[in-house]
Amino acid sequence: MASPAETATGSEQGRTAEEKLQQVRELFVDAPEVGKKALENVLGELTSQVAEPKTRMESAGRVGSRQGTVSELTMITPLAPGGARRLRGFLQLLNGNFDGADKVATLHNMRFVFLDNDTKLLFATTYDGDWDAYIDDFATKIPDYLDILGAAVEGWPGIRSPEAKDFLASHQVTAEGWYVADPDVTVVEARRLKRVGNALDEFLDKVGG
Amino acid sequence: MATPTQTPTGPEQGQTVEEKIQLLRELFADAPEVGKKALENVLGELKSQVSEPRTRMESAGRVGVRQGMVSELTMIFPFAPGGARRLRAFLQLLNGNFDGANKVGSLHDMRFVFLDNDTKLLFCTAFDGEWDPYIDDFATKIPDYLDILDCGLEGWPGIRSPEAKDFLASHQITAEGWYVANPDLTVAETKRLKTVGKAVDEFLDKIGD
Repeated sequence: MASPAETATGSEQGRTAEEKLQQVRELFVDAPEVGKKALENVLGELTSQVAEPKTRMESAGRVGSRQGTVSELTMITPLAPGGARRLRGFLQLLNGNFDGADKVATLHNMRFVFLDNDTKLLFATTYDGDWDAYIDDFATKIPDYLDILGAAVEGWPGIRSPEAKDFLASHQVTAEGWYVADPDVTVVEARRLKRVGNALDEFLDKVGG
Repeated sequence: MATPTQTPTGPEQGQTVEEKIQLLRELFADAPEVGKKALENVLGELKSQVSEPRTRMESAGRVGVRQGMVSELTMIFPFAPGGARRLRAFLQLLNGNFDGANKVGSLHDMRFVFLDNDTKLLFCTAFDGEWDPYIDDFATKIPDYLDILDCGLEGWPGIRSPEAKDFLASHQITAEGWYVANPDLTVAETKRLKTVGKAVDEFLDKIGD
């Protein structure tokens, strides 16, 4: 996180906010009426918002976008024959109890979505920090769970294979818009804040009691 | 949140843990070697994890699933001609500064991903509570931004149309796996805890002086 990260919108950074706004207005000339009108309605606040950005999208490293300390990972992979049935069976067994993910402690949330009649898997996560460190963390802490999930996917080389990271990166699609409500709160920090909140409540109870 | 919600894995709920695990092992009999071996490695911890689930996936209301307070929304839309160019320009203008989303206050994160040569949009969010109030909240607080973002989609009726919610629901795909690290933390609660954390730090600083 220390290195200056390039923005996901790379080549766009040379333009001023006014130039970008002008381009949006020109593009919206042939938008449906409802969109054209909506843009005119918010043009004032948009101009000031863009002039004083509070945050910006940056690269999450090898692939993906980041806001503050929170990054996005979005992958779409073809499912292998029988892969959808196996993965669905595994997900139904867990019913959202991914204890392994708790162990990694850099994962805010994660979804598995079956697309196009079970021929493709959409896998999307919200996580802390940079891509390489995040993948390494999973590969080190819960390699077996990655292989159980990965075995559903066409061409999965296995997490212990030197090709695993290239495989993952090649199926990832970087988000072009990425918003995070609290870009300064990591999973670990959220847990610490919960403890502080609980401790304060107890303290105040005792003082008051 | 008060109403009892059904789990998306409905018919599976009658089975015992042993039966579910047995079913999974049978499904994995023809998995790639790497997946079969991985499943055997974690079978022990998987059994105890499934026997004592700490949480479970529930319905987020009309579409989508929820863990505790936090729900997922996953939508894929075809773009109308010119829609991808307009949306991309708008996203580049904002560069992740969705001040409107801050105003809504129930959105944890949100991503826009362009698929299949800009012919489709993948839109994913993590949000607090149930589908209907969430969509209503957006429609009431920032209708113009919804129209700007969605006017590039094929068939968007406009957020003020009585068909807007049906349109959105018809493009949503419910996740079959959904994990949240802190399912008890809403966006509002996180903000409150950040304030508490700062106040406690100041308090302790003063005592230490």
